Amino acid sequence: MLSIVFHKRRRLVRRLFFNHEQVRTMSRVKRRTTHPPYWHVLKNNQRQDEKISSDNLRFVREVIQDKYKNKSPIKGSDLDIEKKEWDPKTKRSGVIARNIGVQHMWEKDGKKVVCTVLHVLDNHVIRYVPPEEYAKSIIGAKVFRNRKPLGCLVVGAEAANPDRFTRQYCSLFNEVGLLPKKRLARFIVTPNAVLPPCTPLTAGHFVVGQAVDVYGKTIDYGFQGVVKRWGFKGGPASHGATKFHRRGGTIGTGRDKARVWPGQKMPGHMGSERRFCRGLKIVRINMKYNVIYVKGTVPGPTNSIVQIFDTLLPRRKFTEAPPHPTYFPPEDGTLPQEDIWDSNMHVFGSPSIPV
Amino acid sequence: MLRRAVLQTFRQGLAQSFFKRNAVSLSETTVTHQPIETSNEADEKSVSKQKPGDESGNTVVVAPPEFRFMYPEFLPDPAMERRNRLKEKLERIDMLQRRSVVEIPEFYTGSVMAVTVADANSPNKFARFVGICIQRGGSGLRAWFILRNVVDKQGVEILYEMYCPLIQKIEVLRLERRLDESLLYLRDALPEYSTFPLDMEPERRLNNSVVPINPLKVKLRPRPWLERWERQNLQGVEDLNLPQRFYDKAEKVAKPWEKYDLMLQYRKTIPAEEQEKIFADVHSQLQQQEFKRKIRRQHSALNDSHMVRVGRDANPNQTRISGSIVPSCMLSSAGDMTFRLETYHY
Repeated sequence: MLSIVFHKRRRLVRRLFFNHEQVRTMSRVKRRTTHPPYWHVLKNNQRQDEKISSDNLRFVREVIQDKYKNKSPIKGSDLDIEKKEWDPKTKRSGVIARNIGVQHMWEKDGKKVVCTVLHVLDNHVIRYVPPEEYAKSIIGAKVFRNRKPLGCLVVGAEAANPDRFTRQYCSLFNEVGLLPKKRLARFIVTPNAVLPPCTPLTAGHFVVGQAVDVYGKTIDYGFQGVVKRWGFKGGPASHGATKFHRRGGTIGTGRDKARVWPGQKMPGHMGSERRFCRGLKIVRINMKYNVIYVKGTVPGPTNSIVQIFDTLLPRRKFTEAPPHPTYFPPEDGTLPQEDIWDSNMHVFGSPSIPV
Repeated sequence: MLRRAVLQTFRQGLAQSFFKRNAVSLSETTVTHQPIETSNEADEKSVSKQKPGDESGNTVVVAPPEFRFMYPEFLPDPAMERRNRLKEKLERIDMLQRRSVVEIPEFYTGSVMAVTVADANSPNKFARFVGICIQRGGSGLRAWFILRNVVDKQGVEILYEMYCPLIQKIEVLRLERRLDESLLYLRDALPEYSTFPLDMEPERRLNNSVVPINPLKVKLRPRPWLERWERQNLQGVEDLNLPQRFYDKAEKVAKPWEKYDLMLQYRKTIPAEEQEKIFADVHSQLQQQEFKRKIRRQHSALNDSHMVRVGRDANPNQTRISGSIVPSCMLSSAGDMTFRLETYHY
């Protein structure tokens, strides 16, 4: 005789009864390292105190000057950029900038707005990696696992003396013939937004009023307790509490699983993590000093390096063509407009707001 | 060597002319029948010291050392982690732009001022408040000051952001200093020390070159107080007449070694060389703006045009604290002016 087994009807979506279950799905990949990835070349010169005579030092400087002779600024007409059309699915290059601080500005109705000032450093395109090649690299394979591969532009910022870098690092810039840059970054671009090497990127790459995403590493708070790190309430300050003011309290039950679950919130290192601030609006661009004012705040402390891209939020993307593939100042050297403000902002030199 | 000489004169000037202010920044005096002469006089009074020349032969302009006290908001926040020269430079440009539109006069804690602000909800569209400046702070475009007054037996304090574009006019009715840098103890003082008539006229003084210090000693109300005033070394307060245990505890809690801590002072201030650079940068523009304003004032006085004072012909009933004086924009959380009501009790 067949025994009929009735199976209990299972819920399709499991309801979470304990926080442990949610926490168990938290990523356990190591989030922070102090060393760069193993495929990077050694960057900083390890031999610090080299005793060379002043004559030799002068000779070394002459060699450097000869190698990286001052080039005239590159104009748009010099580069052989194929005129490619912009379409809404184009991904343009991003830009490396430094967060130089926070400034208060006011809108036309008198409302105060906290704006972050981002100084676009001397960005130059170093090389372009086409989609097929990039998809074969370690990071590229992960990023484009299930989608169509895109190209990658390597952009460098903040030129520095080659003395402080190793030969392998300086060789990365040999093709372009530029002074080695302190900071390199990769930007994913569609093939129609490709820029040739040596192209400068400035604040004019962006348009006032557009939304940008800013990537940075958050402020490093160091080893922090559970109250600051996870927002625990701690214990009572008085009423007889013995040595229990900022501690975590219980870390698990005795019965269920009988151990501490992975992901239990405890004191530890806080900060210095990759974060994106999405959809920040640009309210002002100063073309003379290459400075962008962005509404809101940005991850990272003052004077830290951030990367700025066009936003990926669908409702704040471009509807009209931006400077594509990038902005080139006019040939005769005149700036069309030094300081561009958003239409909503109160310009400081204009009369006081009446009502 | 020239640098050292410049620094020396700068520091000497600092010590000697602590209260002097440059004669060009006059108060509301409008008429002088020889306008050209006064400007010449002002120049003679060494508004800007022109150095004979440095090695390259160019003249080096140094701002007078009083600028450090007249325009303290041009100095940035001394915390080194947050300093950036480019950002400070851009902020200063914006501040000067704003100053070219609105006159932000020289004032100190203890000066009586009147501020006119645009307000959508007041019948006059402008709201004017008169009060004594009890505290000022912030640097750059964030600079603020608090005005205090007692209106209809109710203490009122309003915090104004100096560079907010809603501010139409800032007038200094009485320019003076007090014995303390912060007059927050007026909250615990008898109300007559914080009361100023709302239709107060600007006071003109004969001697414009020195800012007077008012040696007034204020009487406090009996305890409880908002702060422990006995622990704060206040000069402008009368003898507190407290039991000895308060003074003993104050001594126990005091940090008398801080006055010997050089690094603490260094970290709290901007070095003299940088201050010099900043004010030299800003000095010529401020001078130009002052000059233009003086000319404009003289023109308007000569043309006999009546200076319009907002709120002057207003209904005397408007002085009621029904909300007409306090603009509602100040009550909004996003607003840049905060309103503080104080319960008044004997």
